[in-house]
Amino acid sequence: MLQTLSIPKAPVPAGADRDTYLTAYRFMLLARLLDDKYAALYRAGKIQGGVFLGRGQEALSVAIGVSLKQSDIFAPLIRDAAGRLAFGEPILDAIRTYLGSSLGPMRGRDGNVHRGRPQMGLLPMISHLGAMISVVNGMLFARRMKGIPGSVGVASIGDGATATGSFHEALNQAAIEKLPLVLVVANNQYAYSTPNLREFVCANLADRAVGYGVAGHEVDGTDLSECLRVIGEAVGNARAGQGPQLVVASLLRLCGHGEHDDAGYVDPEFKHMQLGRDCLKVAEAELLRQQWVEPAELARWRNDNIVQIEELVAQVQHEPTPDPFGEDWSAISSRHLGETHEIE
Amino acid sequence: MSLTYLEAIREAQAHALREDPRVFIYGQDVGSFGGAFKATKNLSKEFPGRVLDAPISEDAIVGLAVGAAIEGLRPIVEMQFADFSTVGFNQIVNQAATLFWRTNLPCPITVRLPCGGTAGSGPFHSQTMEAIYAHYPGVIVLTPATVEDAYSMLIEAVALDDPVVFCEHKFLYYHLKADKLPNEALPIGKARIAREGRDLTVVTYSAMVHEALAAATELSADGWEIEVVDLRSVKPLDTDTVMASVARTGRLLCVGEAWPWGGVTAEIIARVASEGYDLLDAPPQRLNAKDTPVPFHPNLWTAHRPTARSVAEAARKILRT
Amino acid sequence: MPQIPIIMPQLGESIAEAVILNFLVKPGDTIETGQDIIEVETNKATMTVTASCKGRLTDFTVELNESYVVGASLGHIEATAEEAARLGLDSGPQQKENHLEGGSKGDSSNGSANTRVQPTVRGLPVPANAAGASYLSPRLKARMAELGLHAADLAGIAGSGAAGRVTVEDFEKFIANLEKQMTSQASSMRVAVADAMRRSWTRPIAHVGMPVCLDPLFAYRKVNRPKPGPALCAMRALAVALAENSAPAGRLVGSKIVHPSSIDIGFAVEAEDGVLVPVIRNADKKTLKEMVGAYNDLVRMARDRKLPANATGGSIATVTNFGTFGLEWATPIPLPEQTLVLGMGAARHKPRWDSVKGQFLPIMEANFTLSFDHRVLDGGAAGRLLQRVGTLMSTPELL
Repeated sequence: MLQTLSIPKAPVPAGADRDTYLTAYRFMLLARLLDDKYAALYRAGKIQGGVFLGRGQEALSVAIGVSLKQSDIFAPLIRDAAGRLAFGEPILDAIRTYLGSSLGPMRGRDGNVHRGRPQMGLLPMISHLGAMISVVNGMLFARRMKGIPGSVGVASIGDGATATGSFHEALNQAAIEKLPLVLVVANNQYAYSTPNLREFVCANLADRAVGYGVAGHEVDGTDLSECLRVIGEAVGNARAGQGPQLVVASLLRLCGHGEHDDAGYVDPEFKHMQLGRDCLKVAEAELLRQQWVEPAELARWRNDNIVQIEELVAQVQHEPTPDPFGEDWSAISSRHLGETHEIE
Repeated sequence: MSLTYLEAIREAQAHALREDPRVFIYGQDVGSFGGAFKATKNLSKEFPGRVLDAPISEDAIVGLAVGAAIEGLRPIVEMQFADFSTVGFNQIVNQAATLFWRTNLPCPITVRLPCGGTAGSGPFHSQTMEAIYAHYPGVIVLTPATVEDAYSMLIEAVALDDPVVFCEHKFLYYHLKADKLPNEALPIGKARIAREGRDLTVVTYSAMVHEALAAATELSADGWEIEVVDLRSVKPLDTDTVMASVARTGRLLCVGEAWPWGGVTAEIIARVASEGYDLLDAPPQRLNAKDTPVPFHPNLWTAHRPTARSVAEAARKILRT
Repeated sequence: MPQIPIIMPQLGESIAEAVILNFLVKPGDTIETGQDIIEVETNKATMTVTASCKGRLTDFTVELNESYVVGASLGHIEATAEEAARLGLDSGPQQKENHLEGGSKGDSSNGSANTRVQPTVRGLPVPANAAGASYLSPRLKARMAELGLHAADLAGIAGSGAAGRVTVEDFEKFIANLEKQMTSQASSMRVAVADAMRRSWTRPIAHVGMPVCLDPLFAYRKVNRPKPGPALCAMRALAVALAENSAPAGRLVGSKIVHPSSIDIGFAVEAEDGVLVPVIRNADKKTLKEMVGAYNDLVRMARDRKLPANATGGSIATVTNFGTFGLEWATPIPLPEQTLVLGMGAARHKPRWDSVKGQFLPIMEANFTLSFDHRVLDGGAAGRLLQRVGTLMSTPELL
């Protein structure tokens, strides 16, 4: 049974949200154009390993980034290009990690979306879905122990990750400890090629919140203003000490699982549904409808972003890649305890 | 005053909690209950809010510890049994052990595993897991065999900035006693000559050190002097001390309670064969548990793992070569 | 068809030998890989030796109720070349022939280009854990290398390890004992000779001998100048004999006899603490008279230790005159790179029966011995060579 949207939508109030909306939109646009660039580079054979785009998830993701403070904690997942930019991740971090520059935050030791700056509260994902949630729990737990109030942690996951044991353990743990965790589930209808019905059969993923004893929210992931509202509310609740918040967004993945995947298995019916809309286009239409922006301005932002991206990519392509002979091959920080017993 | 191996572990944790406000303990039943083996008895009272009960969620337990470590705390995780750590294996080897390598931020967590068999514990309460953790880069694996080492190595483990898997042995918990706590100790990474010898080197760790010492006593009645090397830490493994011992004796027997395939004993022999080939006067040998799950019945259990008798017998074979 | 040796296998830990109880097949029988072919008895049990390959049983070379060591050859199986190659079995000399001829020839003899990788380590599988008196552990080998010792030096040690193995403890006790006794440093000459003799002795050396009458030589010396000595005369005679038939001076390498390219004869000169062997090149092409000057020069230079580098080495046979020490006979050892050494004993007055006069007449006679590598020639050929030398010695004016 395909999920249909029946969430009442509140009208966007004029004025107060305009700046937030515009800021959010601009991050969405940049994220989309960056993704387009990665896709082009991938097809030209310029990227090693996988390329994972966030097409269709920009509104939900950017809402997270915009709603959090710099001092908060964010564990993005595969399709959070927009959210990362909004949270404050330098754009060069993304380009450098994809192109394998040794100047990137992962220094070539990990790639594509597996990047972050833990000291900044931006966690670099490991590939095991659901594993980052308890790490966010731990950071929130530690801040409480240290007497640092007011932090919120967001962990971003997809519909597939809700089937993992680590999701279950972590959400349960957050509930027991009443941590200010906001768990944002982007239900884009597919986990790689697996449709929802093979990942869960409860009528509504958001219903699980009851099972864990936490608050649940649903949102139309294609609608930026809704995303801003619901995410903002969830973050506010958590920050106010109401415990974990589960947010389930409905949207459609508008790309393959990775750029190697043509997604031929996606049911074309989705494209005719509300959740199948392109959130970027929806936001652009809204901007124009509200007359918050002129079409020419939109085009100018688009071009400026493209130019900026081209320049940065060109710059990064000239940067050094890791040197295996200059590399410090130590997996532990206590160097005096390192050892190797291979032929020198 | 005499204290047991378990009490030494408790004392070490109390010391850590006292000396460093960043330390806390997280695990199942560790709070007011004091832990399944009483390793944290009274600690939650003495250090309120720092010894906390976790749900049965080993994955989330370790994940939480990693998050806390990122925030600068020094968590000690108590797994109820080493055997259950497999549920948290992913977080230990893929989250904690890769953090420094990927981000340059060290991950100072200590995961305590009650390891090893006692009669009647069965397949899921008896495992020794040092080899599979040691296999992963980014992990330090410790196997204290004495009361003193249980104390000093746990304190040093908590102070290290890297993930430590601390393999304490359940059999030694109540049976091993010492008069007092040590003031000083060999550092992590150094092996100890538990008994000096001349005719054969037995390299081992944890509870097997005591079996090897008993075997050495038996063989000494026949005029053979066996040197016993207690590795103390499996990773890093003190190859220098092992090599020097084999240089003295020319013969090597490695003993481990774990299973044979890819175990610590295999690792030692690989190193000695490749780096100390000309030190060997006889082929190096190893003695491990049988390659089956750990059996429940004491009849089967005593035959499953190396004992002083089987160590002595294996030693005699090499001595006769 | 390659003859694959049947080897006594490792029958159990610390089993060093077994007694042949029963032959289960006979020569000519077809056998399969793994078939039981000999029943043997160890001190633990009755066991069987199985065939390592398919083929026909050629022979058994051992006796019933006799004991043979692990690793001994018990007989042969005739297998096809493909079977032998498939199993990496070495059939001994035949296989070595392929090695000597070089890879390309060997390959073409197998038919079309062989793309399989050929192992360089061949031979029948030996026990992975060896024991026995000749087994040297890595440590023992390293220690011996450190002290510059060879297996021959261990001959005096009784091994206390499995099957009589010399353990490193046995070795260290031996060395410690040596150090308690008075020792002096062997000269480098002594060490070099020791090494040469050890290497030479790895071959089966045999000896033949016969008395040679030296009267013709002494008569020749009375009336000729310059005067050739008995050793030089023997050298020249040997050179002539070898020029007629050089096969006895050939060297066996694998299954090939390497023939000498020129008849260069060496002679032994005692120098301080050792023996030098100067060489007369092309001794077949110079007459006795022509060689005297060169010979005397070489002797003098040898005694003064001033031999140039090109004056030694490369000889195909050596003559040694131990008669100068008063010895009547001796069994010298050929140089490791040579097959022959001709030895001359002291000349003595001996009675020889003259059948014409019906009485014993005194002659000057010396024993000549020929020591030879028995792999290259047998007693007959050695004897014939010695005879020829003796005959040539009786007409020194023709040399």
